[in-house]
Amino acid sequence: MPVLVAGAALAHGGGGGVEMELEGTPSFSIPPVYHILVVHFPIALWLTAALFIFFRVFSNSDLAVRLQKSVWPLILLGSLAGVVAYGLGQSIYLWSALTQSPLGRNHIMLATWTLSYWTVLGVLGYRYRRHLFEGAQRWVSFILTLIGAAVVTITGTLGGALNGTPSLVTKTLGDLGWEVYMTFYLPTWMLWAFGLGAVVIVARGVLGRRRA
Amino acid sequence: MAAWVTHGTGIFKVDPERNIVIPDALESTLQVKVAFDGETIWFRYRWPVERPSLFNDVLVYQDGEWIARGGEALGPNPDFLTEDRVAMMIDDGSVPLFSRYGGYITIGDGLTTFTGTPETEEERTKYLPDTRTDPNDFDTIRPESDLQMLRAAGQFIDLWQWRSSRSNPIGLGDDGFVAEERGGDAGDGPYITNFDYAAGQPMFMFNPDVAGYRALAIDDVTSAAVGFNDTYYLSAETAVPFDPDYAWQNGDTIPRRFLQPETGSRADVVQPASARWRNGFWDVTLQRSMDTGNPLDDKIFRDRRSYDLAFAVFRNASTMRWHSISLPVSLGLGTTAQIQARRSEPGQPDWTGPWTEIEVYYPGQITWGRLVDLRQHPGADRIAARVPVAYRHSERQLALYGIEMEFAEEIRSQWLWTLAMSLSLIVAFGVAMVLLFRRPEGKA
Repeated sequence: MPVLVAGAALAHGGGGGVEMELEGTPSFSIPPVYHILVVHFPIALWLTAALFIFFRVFSNSDLAVRLQKSVWPLILLGSLAGVVAYGLGQSIYLWSALTQSPLGRNHIMLATWTLSYWTVLGVLGYRYRRHLFEGAQRWVSFILTLIGAAVVTITGTLGGALNGTPSLVTKTLGDLGWEVYMTFYLPTWMLWAFGLGAVVIVARGVLGRRRA
Repeated sequence: MAAWVTHGTGIFKVDPERNIVIPDALESTLQVKVAFDGETIWFRYRWPVERPSLFNDVLVYQDGEWIARGGEALGPNPDFLTEDRVAMMIDDGSVPLFSRYGGYITIGDGLTTFTGTPETEEERTKYLPDTRTDPNDFDTIRPESDLQMLRAAGQFIDLWQWRSSRSNPIGLGDDGFVAEERGGDAGDGPYITNFDYAAGQPMFMFNPDVAGYRALAIDDVTSAAVGFNDTYYLSAETAVPFDPDYAWQNGDTIPRRFLQPETGSRADVVQPASARWRNGFWDVTLQRSMDTGNPLDDKIFRDRRSYDLAFAVFRNASTMRWHSISLPVSLGLGTTAQIQARRSEPGQPDWTGPWTEIEVYYPGQITWGRLVDLRQHPGADRIAARVPVAYRHSERQLALYGIEMEFAEEIRSQWLWTLAMSLSLIVAFGVAMVLLFRRPEGKA
């Protein structure tokens, strides 16, 4: 009889629903709404900085120059907010669960790229300021910023997909060769290439600096 | 660019040691129509199949022995000796969560063919969670008295099957259930094993007066030279007792199954006529009395009610878990639902309505235990909140997740390395840019 009652209760019980035993409930977690709320701050700050950079690349007007001066504070403020959003994002799900979700892995990967990349841009902006827009360097700045805007957009859209609202960007990435519902990982030989590439890039910087 | 082109490679592979074979096509479409007349309900299924399988397992004569070939295999059977199938699970709202998660609730841990499950004589089939004291442990089955009470409370899924080799030739379906196991309803099924284990030989062979031969040739069977217009199955009409004194030749082939009329509750699901494969599609119709009088075996169909269905399609000579499944689909008999059954004249199913297109996909090895465990599935809390799977996941997404889960640990490790190395590249890039960018000294 208890089983029958339990079966009927499970099927038609309180609230007309089903009670379930949930395995692995964490002792502490922060609802996703706070990550969703906070993450819009770095997005807004970085994309505003990107807008000012684009403007400055194509204009030497007083307004463009004045806006350019606010670029690096915007970026670094964005990175600060990004660190908070990143931390909040990590606290929504257990690490073990999030890293078993292909979309979760991809979101973490892109968020890491975005945060680190924009932080690098912020450091460059702080160190070089207006020199970033002198001569051919302005086109380097343009391309670097374009990449930054792209990774922010992809990270955001992956977050949306993770929250159940995929967008046209999600589909476009699939058309371009990356199915976002599959984990982005590299074959081992590419990992070696990346590691070697990092060493070569730093060495190139050091050697270039010495020659200068 | 090289990273973009090569990402996602190097891990997916056929791995017989772990029972892993990934089908070439992850998704397909099943078309369904339903008609009813108050007494009988008809389900019509249509799905694409490049090459139909008319045989399941066979017995092949080789140097004095009859050797079994075909049937169960890891992934597709290269000889096409595994039959095509369509299966349909039916519930009337009695089984908790079936309407939201469909067949996923029946996939416990450690089922046959799953990676890590040891091979045993007993097949470890799908089951409903409430039939176990620990839903994730196949061996914790409740006492028989409890199972009977669950059955009386409607906690079972009605399971209809059609088999291209083991039921179709004599116009039958197969009526079963999923409860504490996946099994057949009470009575005899549509086939028996055509083998006398004591004598080491078949029990029946083709009737030469009907078929024109006692056996087929294995090469004709595997090359699809044998077709619908040949006598390719054994039944009371086409078979005679096996003749051990005949001069059998190597390669002589006899079906390993003898088809027979079903009895009891298992005989409820039949076909109006044997199905034929045409123009790249199976077009199959199954019918049953709406009220079979067997409420402990069957879900009883009633006018003005809705039901929940979930489908599985087996093709390309694949069986067991190498099938394509659907998400749960609602069926309405005079009520609004995803599949709208057409009210028909007595005995005349009305097929004039449009097909309902149902996406089916390869599910991989996703267990219910994984889905409700927050340590393994970020959406476990959504399941606890009863959010339907279709609200969060598309069939395409689930198919891709399914194959990723088969290599979960390898991918996770490779992803962590990718994360670390890509981060190092970004940092290196930043360092190099700081060093390389030109800034005239003394100017800010």
